[in-house]
Amino acid sequence: MARIELRNLRKEYGSVVAVKNVDLEIRDGEFIVFVGPSGCGKTTTLRMIAGFEDPTAGEIRIDGQVVNDLEPRDRGLGMVFQSHALFPHKSVAQNIEFGLRMKRVPEAERKKRVREVAEMVRVTHLLDKMPAQCSGGESQRVALARTLVTNPSTFLLDEPLSSLDAKLRRELRAECDRLHEELKRTFIYVTHDQEEAMTLADRIVVMRAGQIEQMGSPLDIYSQPASYFVADFFGSPSMNLVAGEIVHEGGTPRFRSPRFDIDLSNRYAGTPPGKVTLGIRPEHVGVGVNGEGGNVLPVRLVEPLGKDTLLYFDDGTERAFVAVTEGLANAAMKSGTPIALKFDPAKIYLFGADGKRIAAR
Amino acid sequence: MPACVWLFFSHSGVSYDTAFTDGCWVVTTDVIKGAAPPAAAGLSRREASRARAIRRFRWSILAPLIAVFTLVLTPVLLLQLYFSFHEWTVYLGSWWDAEWVGLDIFQEVFTDPRFGWAIVRSLAFSVGSTLGCFVFGFALAFLMYKPFRGQALYYIIFILPMLTVPIVVAYTGEMLLYQAGPVNDLISRMLGVEFKPAWLSSPNFALTAVMLLEIWNWTPFTFIIMLAGLSAIPKEPIEAAQILGASKWRIFWEVQLPLLRPVIFLALVLRFLEAMAEFPKAWALFQGGPGTATETLPIYIFITTWQYFQISKGAAMSYIVMMLMIVIVLGAIALLRREKRQLDAMYAKSEAE
Amino acid sequence: MTKSTRRRIGSLVRYVLLTFWAVIAFFPIYWMVSTSFKIDTQWFAWPPVYFPDPPTLANYAAVWLGREEVASTQFTLSMQRPLQSLMNSTIISFTSTFLAVAFGSVIAYGASRYKVLTEARMFQLLMLRMIPPIVVVAPLSLYYSALGLLDTRFGLIVIYSITSLPYAVWMTKSFIDEVPREVEQAAEILGASRWRTVFEIVLPLIRSGLVATFLFILILTWSEYLLALILSKTEVATLPIELSKYQGSTEGRVYGRQAALAVGITLPLMIVGLIIRKHLARGFSFGMVRR
Repeated sequence: MARIELRNLRKEYGSVVAVKNVDLEIRDGEFIVFVGPSGCGKTTTLRMIAGFEDPTAGEIRIDGQVVNDLEPRDRGLGMVFQSHALFPHKSVAQNIEFGLRMKRVPEAERKKRVREVAEMVRVTHLLDKMPAQCSGGESQRVALARTLVTNPSTFLLDEPLSSLDAKLRRELRAECDRLHEELKRTFIYVTHDQEEAMTLADRIVVMRAGQIEQMGSPLDIYSQPASYFVADFFGSPSMNLVAGEIVHEGGTPRFRSPRFDIDLSNRYAGTPPGKVTLGIRPEHVGVGVNGEGGNVLPVRLVEPLGKDTLLYFDDGTERAFVAVTEGLANAAMKSGTPIALKFDPAKIYLFGADGKRIAAR
Repeated sequence: MPACVWLFFSHSGVSYDTAFTDGCWVVTTDVIKGAAPPAAAGLSRREASRARAIRRFRWSILAPLIAVFTLVLTPVLLLQLYFSFHEWTVYLGSWWDAEWVGLDIFQEVFTDPRFGWAIVRSLAFSVGSTLGCFVFGFALAFLMYKPFRGQALYYIIFILPMLTVPIVVAYTGEMLLYQAGPVNDLISRMLGVEFKPAWLSSPNFALTAVMLLEIWNWTPFTFIIMLAGLSAIPKEPIEAAQILGASKWRIFWEVQLPLLRPVIFLALVLRFLEAMAEFPKAWALFQGGPGTATETLPIYIFITTWQYFQISKGAAMSYIVMMLMIVIVLGAIALLRREKRQLDAMYAKSEAE
Repeated sequence: MTKSTRRRIGSLVRYVLLTFWAVIAFFPIYWMVSTSFKIDTQWFAWPPVYFPDPPTLANYAAVWLGREEVASTQFTLSMQRPLQSLMNSTIISFTSTFLAVAFGSVIAYGASRYKVLTEARMFQLLMLRMIPPIVVVAPLSLYYSALGLLDTRFGLIVIYSITSLPYAVWMTKSFIDEVPREVEQAAEILGASRWRTVFEIVLPLIRSGLVATFLFILILTWSEYLLALILSKTEVATLPIELSKYQGSTEGRVYGRQAALAVGITLPLMIVGLIIRKHLARGFSFGMVRR
């Protein structure tokens, strides 16, 4: 059992506040991902859970017991680091068995468990090699094995895939997922990659500037972003965000910006007029090739990606406005072709001047 | 000459040819020839001329080193050798009037008990001061490698002794150990009785005194090296060890110490070699005395050559000491190179990525 | 015991130990400085005088300005010329250090980029330096006297440059290794010759490293004793030799004067050393510390 509670955690370094106020409860067996840009406090929070940093204020409890005062070795946790952190002077087998040796597990038992775990992460063929002889992916697997073998109640993972290339990252991501399924332990994972967060997490904690911006399942985060920041952070390509204002004409709310005039339907009827930012995901932007009706803009750039084709438009801001169309039907479109952009009101988000999402009816 | 060439080129894998041409020795190595470009026929025009240009460049870079060798080191070593086999005193005037005595001088040196004692003293002094520097330097480095308040100030104070010129250390040491000096005063105050031994006139203590001064003078050296080594150990394996359940002691023995091995060897080797050559402190304070209590090898050679004017004996002794040191040095080179290789191998991959 | 209590006790122990050694490290230096300000009756006083009262500049005046208050002191100095020694030390140290760094950095460049010196060679070069100078100093002095280089600044400069060269090569090489090759390749494509690349591109990029190396070697040449002792007689005595002349003075030990001279010798070194203290580790690492 490993229920972890973070109560009003705060961490200050002199005058810099790395973590302002983190308060949440992590359920046993959950795969929770802390995600956010660098400097947001996610790694600091993880290190406080591990015991490498002391909170300036607040409590950390594991299974109800306050562990603020416990050294990392006494908290029953396991950790995988960004840089694999293997002992360079010890062999892979010696690295993996290290934790067991610290617990004074007898040699025969150690060897057995090392072999079991090595098979689980498929590094058996590396057991006698040195870390320097292992590739990046292999090293991280060894790091996983080293932690696994000690049977911790909770796994802490600090951006474990950041130093790997894209293909390896996908492989090891799947590995992490699989391990979580098999072991059913709590995984606390930190990353700056929203894709990792979306695919791995049971629950996502979005952090910014030391505070929790939003918490929820990947679906919640993606479809109900609480703020401009969250909306922008998740999704690839990112959500289109256009600054403009909301006006009420003839009873219906409309969104106006230099290039757009969009009907917002009754969903935002209750919203007072003023400056807002409109958000709509590229995959929800309808594309009419005939160039008729509503918002017509010339295509600036066509990016055929194989599975989809991306169309870029100039919406009067520095960011390009992107629409995603399926397949390669539009791949041969010439730049400058006028396209009618259609907006499904149900998929439109509005964000106020404070960054928060404006609730729709 | 071949001996010097052999000395310099041995065990490095560089092949060389010597030829006596036009009245002088010519040594060519593949470094100068340019690292083996393949047969000229196989190279394009551009590659061949580029290879030539590179060869010229390397030649001109090595020129000063070669000049030093031929103009300074070789004549000096040859002179040394000459005087080891020819008995010469200052009264003879010209060097070339010295008579050949074969191995007599070497025999004299080998049967000289004072020489043997000098070797013993040098070794004792070097081992003692190296260990002292190492123990204190390591302890200090270990206390200092993690940041804490006031660290910068302590660091400054700790490196000051090394910035004190050795001869100044000698004289300051004399002032401190003077019979009516502060050391005795402090001991007296601690013991409650007046305690004024004459440290500087005691044959038993003299060598220890020099050793203590040497330790004081050079602990910052090992301190800085060990500190650099400790700081260079990556933080994350240590944290990984912590969370895997290792106690501080375990981490020290299993993670930090093995990774410090190259640095430890470096500190020990360099300090030992420098201690064997130490001259100013023993000379300025004691002139090798009282009696012969602090007569280390450098002192004895100095006395033989410039006080007794036994140039030849001094030369022979120098040669023997030089051979001895070369053996030690070759061992040191092999040791350090092996450590460096292992160090590079351990961290090689992170560069390759 | 809580974590924070343990932490605090550990911290206290650390401070105690460090302060203990700090006192040991600093006291002799303090003694030297305070003695330089003592009047002669306090030089040998028992119990020793820890804080000169009244402090005096007489020692400094006597040593550095040659001013003797003959009436109040019993000690006169014979044959000492500190100012001349200061000049000798300065000229010899600076020149030899400059030469060592100039040649050493070029050789280091060759070693770094063109394998002019293999790793084996680099270590051999270092170890050559480690052979006690005493074993070559006798024939060297004869060689010098034959060449008329004995007791000349030139002679000392040459030998100091040679003995400093290994350090210069090692230190500058570590700085050069960190300059990315692309910079030189860019220069080559733009038409620069090899030598120009060295002097116009690479060396300026490691300017601070060169300064650190220069100051580091300056410390070594400034404090050198044995070679100066043998290879100089009367004309070019360096400061360390000057200090040892007090040893022979017939009036016995003149601690105050010695201290005043010692402070003069040591102070520049300490200032220099403190300036480059962040680079000292690099100078001593010789490839054994991973950067």
